[in-house]
Amino acid sequence: MNTAGTTTALPESVDRRMRVARTALILTGTAGLLFGVYVLFDTVRIARLPGVALWIGAAIVLHDAVLAVLVFFCGILLRRAGRRVTGTIVLVVQGAIVVGSIMTLIVVPAIVAQSLAPTNPSLLPLDYGRNLALFWVAVALVATVWSALLYARSKRANQRPSSRQS
Amino acid sequence: MYEARRALASPVRNPRMAVVIGRLLGVAFIVCFGTGLYSHFLQDPLPWMRFPTRPASLYQVTQGTHIVAGIACFPLLLAKLYIVFPDLFQSPPVKSFLHLLERASIALFVGASLVQITIGLVNTYRWYPWPFPFREVHYALGWVLVGLLVLHIGIKLPIISRFWSGRAAAEHEATDAGSETATPADVEAVRLWGSRRPPGVTGRLIAWIDATPAVQLRTVTQTETKSLSRRGFLTTVGIACAAVVGLTAGQTFAPLDAANVFAPRKKGVGPQGVPVNRTAEQAKVTVSATAAGWLLTLAAGGVERSFSRAELEAMPQTEVELPIACVEGWSQLAVWRGVRLAELADLVGADPDAAFRLTSLEERGSFRQAEMGPEYVRDPLTLVALELNGETLDLQHGYPARMIAPGRPGVLQTKWLSRIEAITA
Repeated sequence: MNTAGTTTALPESVDRRMRVARTALILTGTAGLLFGVYVLFDTVRIARLPGVALWIGAAIVLHDAVLAVLVFFCGILLRRAGRRVTGTIVLVVQGAIVVGSIMTLIVVPAIVAQSLAPTNPSLLPLDYGRNLALFWVAVALVATVWSALLYARSKRANQRPSSRQS
Repeated sequence: MYEARRALASPVRNPRMAVVIGRLLGVAFIVCFGTGLYSHFLQDPLPWMRFPTRPASLYQVTQGTHIVAGIACFPLLLAKLYIVFPDLFQSPPVKSFLHLLERASIALFVGASLVQITIGLVNTYRWYPWPFPFREVHYALGWVLVGLLVLHIGIKLPIISRFWSGRAAAEHEATDAGSETATPADVEAVRLWGSRRPPGVTGRLIAWIDATPAVQLRTVTQTETKSLSRRGFLTTVGIACAAVVGLTAGQTFAPLDAANVFAPRKKGVGPQGVPVNRTAEQAKVTVSATAAGWLLTLAAGGVERSFSRAELEAMPQTEVELPIACVEGWSQLAVWRGVRLAELADLVGADPDAAFRLTSLEERGSFRQAEMGPEYVRDPLTLVALELNGETLDLQHGYPARMIAPGRPGVLQTKWLSRIEAITA
């Protein structure tokens, strides 16, 4: 977080308490981290460890270079598209896309896993593809109704003289 | 870098929001860690460990909560990363060695968190597309993450304490009024370009994106717009959490069963109305479990006795209602009928304090054998089950006989039993 320029002088006792608390937390945290690394080396064969590192690295790249960029450009498109409607409607549409996308992120692996493992009929027994489609329909419906209500309200508000203009 | 940060500016990307979402995510991580640790030690207890056997649904609740909290981490973690994303482009990228360590710890925190919740989720689908063993890595990463969480709180403590309460954060914003026109970044921009906007294509692009619709200006003030987008953001995160949890938690919490459209298990779906984790085919017991000569052997202190299924059926039968609760987060309440393990243990004169080892007909598999502490062996609800929901136990559920005990993970409720022996200390 960017705190530059917002630092204010604190009483010395608060300052000291803060320092003690931070030191304790940082030491405890580091101990936990090191124990985790020890457990990793202790229980997982060395040959498998590069795989763990690879996955962690790939997760960072996937998030920072793909997911975040995608979200960034979706945001730009929406802000652009939203120039002619009130901000709240943009927020509702944005929210709907986010909710649908997160659900998709969670359900798609289930669909893939279902296609891979037909050996256990009680595992992944539902029609996840259909349910996901229905979920998107439901999200779109809710967003449409919500937007329509907001649109009607903003139209009414714009028809009477604003009380806030100075 | 500055341009990236400027373009990423958004009213929800502020320290207060990072604290609000960070708190929730922190709680979710701690809940996952605590319940995960409990599940781990149930499976790999330290020698002195004893566990509560009541309430009988204890493990159903702890492990169900583990999965629910883990799923809620998806929207929460993504929201947290969205809020702090511009920090990726801080300038200069590294100020000191300590700063490098801090950034490295955050990179590891982000990467390990994403891997942890992803492999946790995909494990519930019983799909293993990664090149390492799930259980060991999930457990080790649990420690890594809880350590990094505490470390992160330590590093960010000044910001966290400053923005902990909403009122303090609002006051801080009020004193910073005008920061809109003079953030350090803006000062830097003016120094560089003589205006707050970069020149050229980038500047025009940003101006184009930022152009505020006229309709909005007339009715809503700037402050209101900012607070609106914050509320919109929080509402979105809230709805996303409610959706991912509400539409999956029915696999373990019965009242939500009707809303369960996305969980990997559905209550009541499976042979005799109970889901199956490992099938008889996977365990390769279809022949040995149906063989006519099957015997269950009980052993304690040199005494050994074997029972056929008919002999077990002829003994006093006990009926119990217990959930089978899996590490993957699903659970199913069922009615089991069979012989109390404590009564069988007495037949071979086992020490009341003895732990038992249960062996399955399975020839391979990490849960071919399970150990059971005396608190479960002597519990009146612990059965060698012969019937499930009023019918002869299905082969998929462990025919001819399986273990069922209160508050234990499903993988320890050994199916296709072949031998039960007291462990001599």
